[in-house]
Amino acid sequence: MTAVDVREAARVTSGSGPAPAARAVGLRKVYGRTVAVDGIDLEVPTGAVLGMLGPNGSGKTTLIRMLLGLTRPTAGSAELLGETEQTRALPHVGALVEGPGFHPFLSGRENLRRAAAAEPLLTSGAIPGAVDTALERVGLGHAADRRFRGYSLGMKQRLGLAGALLVPRRLVVLDEPTNGLDPAGTRDVRTIIGELHESGSTVIVSSHLLAEVEATCTHVAVLRSGSLLAAGALSGLLDSGIGGLEVTTPDVGLALSTLDGVGAVAAPGGPGIVVTDGPEAPEIVALLVRAGVAVHEVHRRRPRLEELFAQLTEGDGGVPSIGTEGDSGVPSIGTEGDGETIGSATIGSEKGVRR
Amino acid sequence: MTAVAETAVGPERTAAPLGRLLAAEVRWVFRRPRTLITLGLFALIPVLVAVGVVVADRNGPGLIGAVAGNGLVLPIAALTLALALLLPLATAMAAADALAGEAAHGTLRGLLLAPVSRVRLVGVKAFGVLVVAAAAVLVIAVVGVLAGMVVVGSADGQMVTLSGTTLGFGEGVARVGLVAVWVLGQLAAVGAVALAVSSLTEHPLVVLASVLGGLIAFGVLSAIPALDWLQPWLLTSGWTAATDALRDPVALDAMGSSTVRALCYAAIGLGITVWRMQRRDA
Repeated sequence: MTAVDVREAARVTSGSGPAPAARAVGLRKVYGRTVAVDGIDLEVPTGAVLGMLGPNGSGKTTLIRMLLGLTRPTAGSAELLGETEQTRALPHVGALVEGPGFHPFLSGRENLRRAAAAEPLLTSGAIPGAVDTALERVGLGHAADRRFRGYSLGMKQRLGLAGALLVPRRLVVLDEPTNGLDPAGTRDVRTIIGELHESGSTVIVSSHLLAEVEATCTHVAVLRSGSLLAAGALSGLLDSGIGGLEVTTPDVGLALSTLDGVGAVAAPGGPGIVVTDGPEAPEIVALLVRAGVAVHEVHRRRPRLEELFAQLTEGDGGVPSIGTEGDSGVPSIGTEGDGETIGSATIGSEKGVRR
Repeated sequence: MTAVAETAVGPERTAAPLGRLLAAEVRWVFRRPRTLITLGLFALIPVLVAVGVVVADRNGPGLIGAVAGNGLVLPIAALTLALALLLPLATAMAAADALAGEAAHGTLRGLLLAPVSRVRLVGVKAFGVLVVAAAAVLVIAVVGVLAGMVVVGSADGQMVTLSGTTLGFGEGVARVGLVAVWVLGQLAAVGAVALAVSSLTEHPLVVLASVLGGLIAFGVLSAIPALDWLQPWLLTSGWTAATDALRDPVALDAMGSSTVRALCYAAIGLGITVWRMQRRDA
């Protein structure tokens, strides 16, 4: 089984659309001596739902802000919907970045109206209707006329989501959309992302809820310390990640010695053994059965995103907060296959540095 | 760009109409409780001046003394008093909310993402600040005229000038209007500088402190005789020019030169704001 190859994965990403919904070319951002984003190349194909994963301080938000033109990159360039000048694409882009920003003394509806007044694609007559629709869509209809000051964290988040959905968008960028939401709210966000995907919109969603990403996303990009560790279609990444066969058997010892005889790599695991390298599956099964091993079940191991993520970001426990990572910070996925290192660890990067 | 299937949206535009942006800004400004409270307090200034005039010795010297028997002098006196500190502070407060406050609330981001171009955003914000300043001046002028009429008495609807002549009611109101416009020009300078500070920070208090500190510093500098040569460069040194409107014929020299000075300050302030906003992270 080969290791994840970032370049391979990136090619998978770029292949499937005419013009990517978003593209980063060598994007880099340095704040003082801290490298927040360290030369990221990424393409988000049109129609994809890209989950952006990474521990706190890994550069997700900075990358998103540079893609949207909110932050000027130190080097590199960003492209939105094929436009190098982001403001030309922004009317078609809805975004919720770094939490919902609204005025506390205005009601939810008034806040949205003010935001809608600045939306180029809305005619003045369409504003009240668009605001009401967006409020209903995120389930805030009942609280629309209450002041934003009195909203709960989840309601604020919902209002931010409504702001991103005021106009039918070609690209929606959601930075931690499920922050502060209860399970029902999380489900709502998942539904909305699903609807956007069905209507052909591209969605970029950053999250640390891996189950959410696995449930809603078609593509993932994994960041750590400002570098892109892996990017590509979710299914491809999961298949090429930790693979192997899981064989359910009570005869662990016999099975291991049998496989050892043909040079396969296997270890006890789960309710039997896990074969990580060796001949093709049918051959292994035949070998085991011929050796008299009782095989109850054989299936290809498809790792969950969580395992993949842990494997990609391991090395410092996934919390790059102290800035002491040396060469051990290079992720391990590249080294078990062909020995190619992937990405580069940023020395001295700190958690939560954005501004 | 190909047309995407979009219902209920307007034509392919990359910017919202300017009029709608300005209207939304004014609406936002006047929905802000502190704007309304400030305007309410400004309405009290002419009233307090009027009460003071009634209570005080009617033969006292100076501008306030001159109010006695001259209802239309009262708004000019009130504007001059307020221009010394309160009007600049109110303007600075509006400018602080305009950029630093919006950045602190995270709403600046939303405007830039809409998108509102950064230059246009400065224009909209400057307009909003100017509207607040104009509203404050208008409140003082109108309440001042009313208070002057009611409390001090109209002296048969006439205004006695410092030159000893009398003006009719219409001419008197025109003089008040002249002073109000001149004051607004000075506040535009304060507002532009405050906006520049506002674009550099996301703490609204920094803007207020800067303007307050600046006013005090200018006051100190203008009080030092050795620094006389500095006078033409200080915004505040012409701020007593309003009394010239009480002369007959009206003396425009001081008001004219201080207006030119204010426009220079405004241009520099706006220039810095635009320059900074084009680079600012939001």
